[in-house]
Amino acid sequence: MAIDDHRPFREMLEERKIIICVGSGGVGKTTSSAVLGLQAATAGLKVLVLTIDPARRLANSLGIDAIGSERQKISMEQFEKVGLHPKGEMWAMMLDMKESFDRLVQRDAPDEETGREILENRFYHYFSTSVAGTQEYAASERLYDLYVEGEFDLIVLDTPPTTHALDFLEAPERMVDAVSSRALQWMYKPGVLSGTPRRGILSVGTSYVTRTLGKFTGGELLEELSTFLRTFSTLFEGFEQRARAVRELLASEETGFLVVTAPDTLTVEEALFFYDRLDGEELNVDGFIVNRVHPQWVGAEELDRRPSELADRLSALGRSAQLEESAQLDMEALAQGLRENAQQFQLRADQDAGSIVKMSEELPGELPIMCVPYFNEDIHSLDGLDVARRELFGEAAGADCAQ
Amino acid sequence: MASAFALSCARRGERTLLMELGVKDKSSSLFGAAQVDSEIREVDENLYAVNVTPQAAMEEYALMVLKIKLIYRAVFENRVVKAFLRVVPGLNELLMLGKAYYHVTEEDERGKPVWDKVIVDAPATGHGIFFLKIASVITNLINSGRMYDEAQSILELLRDETRTGIALVTLAEDMPVNETLMLRKVIEEEMELPVACVIANAIYRPLFSEEEEDWIEAARRHVDRDADESEEDEESKVLGYLEAAKFRIDRVAMQQKYLEKLRAEVEEPLIEIPYYFFDRMSFAIIDEIAGDLDEVLPAETSSAQSAG
Repeated sequence: MAIDDHRPFREMLEERKIIICVGSGGVGKTTSSAVLGLQAATAGLKVLVLTIDPARRLANSLGIDAIGSERQKISMEQFEKVGLHPKGEMWAMMLDMKESFDRLVQRDAPDEETGREILENRFYHYFSTSVAGTQEYAASERLYDLYVEGEFDLIVLDTPPTTHALDFLEAPERMVDAVSSRALQWMYKPGVLSGTPRRGILSVGTSYVTRTLGKFTGGELLEELSTFLRTFSTLFEGFEQRARAVRELLASEETGFLVVTAPDTLTVEEALFFYDRLDGEELNVDGFIVNRVHPQWVGAEELDRRPSELADRLSALGRSAQLEESAQLDMEALAQGLRENAQQFQLRADQDAGSIVKMSEELPGELPIMCVPYFNEDIHSLDGLDVARRELFGEAAGADCAQ
Repeated sequence: MASAFALSCARRGERTLLMELGVKDKSSSLFGAAQVDSEIREVDENLYAVNVTPQAAMEEYALMVLKIKLIYRAVFENRVVKAFLRVVPGLNELLMLGKAYYHVTEEDERGKPVWDKVIVDAPATGHGIFFLKIASVITNLINSGRMYDEAQSILELLRDETRTGIALVTLAEDMPVNETLMLRKVIEEEMELPVACVIANAIYRPLFSEEEEDWIEAARRHVDRDADESEEDEESKVLGYLEAAKFRIDRVAMQQKYLEKLRAEVEEPLIEIPYYFFDRMSFAIIDEIAGDLDEVLPAETSSAQSAG
């Protein structure tokens, strides 16, 4: 079984130029990305962690106020504070998707004025933030730019937490599809959408269609939208070309995908679904990271023992540790509480273990599944990231959550 | 949470419609029903569920207006129109909200409302904001036509706190709480929509007293220090209990800190739902959470949304 064999994970960092973390929202993707970055830097690489999440605590844990849309180097001092001496460099940057899209407009517009016209159009804001995939498209473009610049040995990307976590992948194609389909280009021509054929090329049927549509949207909207789309369409050529290049990069040997998940049934199901999709697209999936796995603290055998035994053992422990026993402390009650708590978490631990077995059964045997235990607190320090790093890359006592 | 609230309302005798928006159906597995799709189906007594997709909502709506299927086909299934509709900003969201609006105001032959309560499981924060905003975005962009009229009535419904309540669902952890506070601000101040309550989910019940906590911590340190790796002694077996307790204690403390933050910054009622140690996807859990909600949530407004 490939669970918790750490080697492939280390090799992945050496072989890939881009690692993309995908998964549902709230599974610790951003943290996992930072942990991967930390490992890469430790191993001597110059790594950029690209996040879409303005997680201030993550920024603080890296010793910076906020992760901005300009790349920022994590200072050596921060690492040394927690006793780390990375041979490489770690950089962080937040992907501001709106800004990325603005950039793209400025770059691909035929001239400055058209670019400005697009950015100032009142539809633009809604278009750039709402049409499916526009933001993801901008993000994937930015990733491509950073890759081409070649300044980093490795780029780790934390994808947006959407219910459709694969939007990011499909974005380049969908974007091109949405804005450049032939059918649509026809509509940008003046007069088409308002249903007032100016050049006599429109059939009666067409104007009927547009008039019916106009009933829904109001003719004015159609007219304005067509003006916008017409200006916007000047960008298409750039879009199409670049989208193809981005797509090729994502499918190449340069890029590896990691599916990040939590161990609960619903999230695991989603993660397996993501895997199927990625695999179906013939992308390289390098492994799974399962965060927040409840450890087997006590074990079923121990929990079967008689409750009174625990109270006795606690008393013995108290004596040997010379702990003060205040009058309020009832050993029986404490033992009961400890047992109840341990039983509850055993339930979770068993379910988590079950999920992991399910994953190992459904995924190909050689695919690494790495478990990171649920920690006492949210990770919000470099120290915490380092603990997670050692779990993930095999320098910890052993993450044996799969047994 | 939306499913639990829906169940809670249905139990109180309200005819309840649970609307999910284009997600991979979750309520079907919870209620043990066959797949919940774009047809409204009864999943429990008084409780109906539907999964709304923009395509289905569009067809339903257009047919309602156009009456004739042939015209719908000619216009809406036209290749060009289809491509066009995909790029109309916010159309999908408006259609889904529109369907919710329709059901809230839907009446039977005798003029009685068909639904006592419509519960919408809204998308997560980022998209959720856009979803709630879309009606006012449209009324700002255009000022005539059917789309404008629809958006206007939806906006009126959303703003009416006797009919709509927005429940913000969160976890008592750093990022979710910050996101929720941000979301609340946007909803109340920018959109001027009514937030009914904040629901903090998965809250651990404290199990240990302060004295016990101190004892556990001291004992844990002692065993940790003495732990001899090769020796499987009684003390090291007790350590597991202490570690599990430590986890609980730390999590409880962290959650309390964030609940405190919510209490300090949120004026609306804060509702705590306990952590369930069983995996989420079971009717039994939803049933229990519904019970928790019964005690604290009044069932007055006729449409409710949950986001988060």
